[in-house]
Parts: sequence; C-alpha cells; structure tokens
Amino acid sequence: MTALLQVRNLTKRYFGLTAVDDVSFDVEAGAIVGLIGPNGSGKSTSIDCLSGFQPADGGRWSLAGVDLTALAPHRIARAGLTRSFQTVRAYDELTLLENLQVAAQENDEIGWLPSLLHGAKVRAAEAAAEARARDLLATVGLADYADAPAAILSYGQRKLLAIAASIMSRPRLVVLDEPVAGVNPTMVRRIEAVIRKLNEEGATLVIVEHNVDFIMSLCRRVIVLDQGAKIADGPPSLIRSDPRVLAAYLGKAGAEEAAHG
Amino acid sequence: MDLSFYAQLLLNGIVIGVIYALVAMGLSLIFGVLEIVNFAHGEFYMLASMLAYFLTAHWSFDYWTTIVVVTAVGLAVGYVLFEGLLLALRGEAFERSILLTMGLSMVLQNGAVFLFTTTPRMIETPLSYQNVQLGEVRLPVARLYALILGVAAFAALYLILHHTRLGKAMRGVAQNRAAAMMVGIDTRVVSRLAVAIGIGLSGLAGAALAPIYSVHPLMGFAFVFKAFAIIIIGGLGNVSGAAIAAVMLGVIESFAGGLLPLAMTDAVAFIAMIAVLLLRPQGLFGRGVRV
Amino acid sequence: MSRRGLLLAVIAGLVALFAVPLLTDNDYVLALGISFAAMSVLAGGLNLVWGYTGLLSFAQVGFFGIGAYAAVLLVVDLGWSLWAAVAAGAALSVAVALLVGYSSLRLSRHAFAIVSLSFALLCAIVARDWPDLTRGSMGIPGLPPPTLTLPGLRWRIVDPADFYYLLMGFAVIAHGLIYVVVTSRLGRAMRAIKLNEPLAQSQGVNPLSYRLLALSLSAALSGVVGGLFVFYLTIIDPSIFDFYYTETMLISVVIGGPGSFWGVLASSAVMAALPDLLRFTTDLRMVLYGVALIAAMLVFPGGIGGWLYRRRLARWRRPQSQLQPQPPQPKAAP
Repeated sequence: MTALLQVRNLTKRYFGLTAVDDVSFDVEAGAIVGLIGPNGSGKSTSIDCLSGFQPADGGRWSLAGVDLTALAPHRIARAGLTRSFQTVRAYDELTLLENLQVAAQENDEIGWLPSLLHGAKVRAAEAAAEARARDLLATVGLADYADAPAAILSYGQRKLLAIAASIMSRPRLVVLDEPVAGVNPTMVRRIEAVIRKLNEEGATLVIVEHNVDFIMSLCRRVIVLDQGAKIADGPPSLIRSDPRVLAAYLGKAGAEEAAHG
Repeated sequence: MDLSFYAQLLLNGIVIGVIYALVAMGLSLIFGVLEIVNFAHGEFYMLASMLAYFLTAHWSFDYWTTIVVVTAVGLAVGYVLFEGLLLALRGEAFERSILLTMGLSMVLQNGAVFLFTTTPRMIETPLSYQNVQLGEVRLPVARLYALILGVAAFAALYLILHHTRLGKAMRGVAQNRAAAMMVGIDTRVVSRLAVAIGIGLSGLAGAALAPIYSVHPLMGFAFVFKAFAIIIIGGLGNVSGAAIAAVMLGVIESFAGGLLPLAMTDAVAFIAMIAVLLLRPQGLFGRGVRV
Repeated sequence: MSRRGLLLAVIAGLVALFAVPLLTDNDYVLALGISFAAMSVLAGGLNLVWGYTGLLSFAQVGFFGIGAYAAVLLVVDLGWSLWAAVAAGAALSVAVALLVGYSSLRLSRHAFAIVSLSFALLCAIVARDWPDLTRGSMGIPGLPPPTLTLPGLRWRIVDPADFYYLLMGFAVIAHGLIYVVVTSRLGRAMRAIKLNEPLAQSQGVNPLSYRLLALSLSAALSGVVGGLFVFYLTIIDPSIFDFYYTETMLISVVIGGPGSFWGVLASSAVMAALPDLLRFTTDLRMVLYGVALIAAMLVFPGGIGGWLYRRRLARWRRPQSQLQPQPPQPKAAP
C-alpha cells in the first residue's frame, strides 16, 4: 500500500547551517506518527517546509500522490495537509464558531459570486459547516464558548481550538506542532484524549513534540531527528533504547551511563 | 553640442541631489534603526528652512551661524520627538508609525500655513548674488556651500557609524534588534541618537536650501514623497545607498527638466521607484544600514 | 441590537435621509449631505481594504480622481452619456488597482503602503503636468448637468437636491454592497487575513486574491463616486487628488474603528458635519485632525469599533455567577 505522505530528501539550509539534512520518511493513512529530537534538530523547520511556510532547498514530498513541493501554503492546505503552529494561533476577534468556519470554507468549492448571492447551495454548506463546528467544539469541550471571541480562551483552550480548526476541513493529514507545550498535566491528558478520538475517526496525524513521554504513549511510530538528520524511525519500544537517540538527548557520556546504568 | 550646458545641468543636478541626500539619509537611518517610517520628515526640513529664513531675514544672522544654529535645533528636536512620541510605539509599529507621523505632519504643516501663510519667501543677502566661475559653468556660492556641507555631513555620518561605539551600535540594532539587545546594547539610547541625527540632517538640509530656493510651508510635503522613493530605490535602511540614489535622482531630474519637452520631472522619482520595486525589490544597493 | 431592530433602524434612517430635500431648501444642508455621501463611500472603501483585510492603502483618492477624470474626458471630449462614462471610469480604476496591487503586493504590505502613497501623488502630478490630456492646472470647468433617461422618465440633474438624490442613492448602493461582502464568508476570510495571516494561509485562504478583491471593489466604488461627484462640482482640476481627501478618509476610519461597518459610517457623518460645527479655518481644522490621528495611534487605535469590541469581550469575561453557561450572545453588528 503506498503511503499517504511521502517525503524524500528534504533539505533546508540557513546561512550555511544545514537545518534539515536529507530527511526522508513515509506516513501511512490512519497512523499517528511522532517526530521528536533535541532543540535545533530541525523538527519545526521540517514542518514549515512541508506546509509551505519556508522554501526547501532540496527534496520532494507528496500527499496521496499529489506533488506538494514548492507550493504556496494555502495550496498545500487545500490539497489536504493542514498544520497547527508552535505559537498557538487563533483569530482573537472572531468567535470560536467563526474560527472554525474559516477553517472549512475554502474547501467546499463555492466561488465568490455564489457566496455573495447566498443561494440555497451556500446556505446548505454554511449550515453543514456550522453543525460540524459545533460538533468539534463539543469534542474538545469548548461548546459553551461557541459565540465568544477567541480572545477569552486560556492558553490550553487555545490549543484545543487550534486542534479542532486543523481538522475542520477534513484534511488527509494533520501536523500538530508541539500541541502540549507549556500546558498543565490535566490539559495534556485532555489533549491526548482528543487526539486519540480524532485518529479513531480517521485522521492521520504527525505530531512534533518535546514531551517525549507524551509521544511515546500516544504514537505507534516515532521518528527522531538530530541536527537536521533522521537518526531513528520505529516503534516507541525500539526508540527508547536506541543508543543513537540516547546520545542525541543525553550526549555521548550520558548515553553510555544510561546504557549501563 | 554645448558642453557647458550639460555641465551646468550636471552641476545643478548634483547640488539638488546632495540636498535630497541629506533628507533621505536621515529618513533611511530612522527606518533602519527603529523600523519607523517618519512621514513628518519633510516638515522638519520645512521648519528648518523657515527658521533659517527668519534668522537671516529678521535677525541678520550670517550664513554659517544660521547653519550651525538650525542644525543644532534639528538635533534637539529629534531628541524630543523620539522621547515624546516615537518611544511610545513599539513592536509591530510599521502602520501605526506611518499614521502617527502622518498626523504629526498634518499638525506641523497646517500649523505652519496658519502661522505663516503660504506666501513663499526668499532670502535676500549678499550671498544670493555671488557666483563662482568654473570654466564656462557658473555656480552660485550658496549652492557651492550646500554641496560642501552635504559632502561633509556624509563624511561625518560615515565616521560616526563606523568609528564610534554608538555608531556601531546603531548598525547593530539595524541589522538585528534582538541580537543587539542580547549583547547589552541600550536600544533606547541608540534609537534616540538615530532620530536626533536624522532630524539634524533635515535641519542642515533645510538651512542649506533656504538661500537657494524659496521657502514656504508646503515645501516639505513634496519632498518627503521623493525621499521615500529614494530610500526604496537605494535600499531600505541603506544610508549610503540612499545618498547615492539621491544624487542620481537629482542629476536625472536636472537633465530631464533641461532636455525633455515634457515637464514631468517630479514623476521621475516615482516611476524609478516603481521600476526598482518590480525589477529589484531589495533596492539598487540592498538592505541594511551600511555606509 | 437584534436583527429586526437593526433592519427597522436602517429603514427609518434611509427614509429620513431621502426626506431631507423635501423638508428643507437650504442648499448648505444639501451640500453637507452630498459631501457625506461621497466621503462616506471613500471611507467605506478604505475600511474594506484596511479595516477588514488589513491592508493599509493610500490609493483610494487616486481611484476617486481617475474615475472623475475619465468620466469628464469621455463626456466632454467624446460626448458619452454620464452613465457610460462613469462605468468606464470605474472599470479603468479597477484595472489600475489590479496592476498596482498585483505588482507591489507580491513584495509585502509595507511596499504596497508606500507604493500606494506614491501612486496617489503620481496621479496628481500627471493631472497637473500633462495638459494635453487633462488641461493641466486649469482643469476643465463648466461641466454640463447630466440627464437620466429611462422609459417614461427624463430627469435633469442640475439642482443641489437632484445631486443629493443621485449621490445619496449611490452611497446607499455602495454601502449595501460593502455590507453584503463583509457579512458573507468573503468578509470572514478578509478578517482572518487581517487577524492572523499565517493561520489563514494554513487553512487554504489565499491572502493575495482577497486583498486584490477588496482593492478592486474599493477602486470601483471610489471611481464611480468620483465620476458623479465631479459633475456636482461642475469643475475638475488636479485638486481632486488632494491629500485632504486621504486625510479625511483616514480619520473617519480610525475614529470609527477599522473593521467596524457602522462605526465608520457614523464617523463619516460626523466628519461631514465637522467643517460646519468647527468654524475654524481649514488649516486649524487639519491641525485638529492631525492631533486626533496622533492620539488615536497612541491611545485608541481601535476607534469606536474597538471600544465596542472590548465591551463585548468584558461581558464574556465576567465571572459566572451561576453554574449555567452564558446564553449565546446575539450576533454582534459587523
């Protein structure tokens, strides 16, 4: 079975520094894949390249057979790859409902003129989007605030909203960039539950995280980057004891100590 | 053909270009260090000219004293401008800075019109009639002095930016504000100095120009748009790029006005700017506060 | 305010507006109304481009003047009817807007702001320095009164009252169109681009195309109102590109609140009446506007609309006195 996402030889350089070094991997449909690595390993840069927010210096990637290389970010989103951001982004002045409606509207093939004329087709699409939005808000536990401006949300609630927004358009693949960074343990468990539920309902996810325990418990497969290169790719049990991974996080001496300790 | 005619056009163009350069360099410095677009920049130049007029016509200050006094006032006003208004803008300040300084320009320009009326004034001193003869080309003394002052100002700015601690700090902040702060540079002090120098340069330009052309409250307005065009052509934040682009523009305008029948010399700056933006958006000389 | 209440208020307001020429024959009041009609359309266009889509643009006055000159030249030199000429003027404005917008928006919003400024100035320079086309600084005086000929109706538009109905009528159409756009999903996308452009991109929204849409619409509306307004003035000259119009538009939008449809409409009305209320000379009035702009940038960049939004925010942040969640608030006015 061909993989949903295929990444080949992704490379990105900044001022002579190689931030992403010839990285290749596949993601199967329905998987939850973790992407971890110490600071500066190139995780977020890879995501920025794949989603079109940074130009890559080399490599190709495709989603469900459609080549996404060098496309503008909005085109990649319309092709079915959505993402969340490390600095949690939301439309503060729009209501939660409107936040989700924006996330859906570019994907229902309705043009500008029909949108203005507001005929039956448009009304039906808007109603469907609103129903789905309320549904998602209920899933993440924010239904009470559907008509409130997003500005009133707490940090953790904003992260939940961002996760809901990222699957509003029924994307093929969702990339979450540090979904539990800076969030208290209760909220971490809540977010983990939401992600599991979304995956059960059919979403394919790639999760970039620093919280290694979170990744190990949630993901069936983990990719490890270090200094831009892929150094490991496999199930959590294997990754946990991989000496290269330990060396990357703990340094060579620390890795030896951990191996013998 | 008549070589002296072309030489005259060239010389006139260089003189006006140097005055453009003084104004544009200040604007460029302020943008480079503070990321603020000073829409009122032309008004400070106009006020300097008006001050020079009054000092010369009503209090009989001689040329050089006027230059010194007006430039000093410019430096002081720049200091006050920063501490009073610009300091309050921080972060993503681009649009707010345009609008804030636009408001300031409205206040200064219309205030000047209200106080002084739009009647142009000419400075009439013995200097106005003295000329220097270079071969077949004649150069009024006031223009010669303006040329000398412009070159001196450019040289002084170069020395400051490259050989003083504060100057190097300015270049550092212009290149990377966050890094500069981490290294311990006090951005407030550096920004204040940049604004003071920027307005001071406008003051010098206004005082140098007053004896050459007529002085009136609307003169800054036309200037500031050209200054914007110049700093884009030269490269945003690039002080020497602005100076070179300014002189080039002065010369092109002079030749266009002298040779072409179509009297659209004012449009040259904007057409050039649009061309640069389309063909080489980083400016002819690229970004960054470089001298 | 509920939807029904809003609708009733709008109808009442329109009735009152159109009754004015029947209630007074004071030409000065009618002149204020005409000025309000024209300037409010310009402010509304700026609000669409800047307040909703987040693109600071100084180009509106350029489209206003281009529409005016095009209409005049087509009527005076080629004998077109005013209506065809105004439509052509609007089309020209849109074409220019797309050209300027597309070429500079590829770079950045900052570049666009400065280019739009220079564009407006360039228009004034061309109008002044190309006499063969525009008659230069002297302009074209003595524009003929337009006539609207429909089956069964022949309306000569020559009194201030006639121009009042014409311009107010167009203003209603223009604001109605703007309202439909900003309350549709197009408006939602525009606001998304302004509020958080990278997020919008990651959701499939193309910022360039929406910005060009807002710019084109604003150019079309400004072009039409320019063409109509100049026949009320009965003279056209380069002063149609005066920075004064840009400054007035800006103040209207800043005070009313960028992104607030009703706020900007209200502040446009106040700005139209202001020259009468503040009987200073123009210069002092402009000084006051400048001070207002400075104060707004320092203290209340969101204007009245921003203040209303903060109140709405505070309502949601009030601690819950019961365990029941807040009932859904009625849809706030755009």
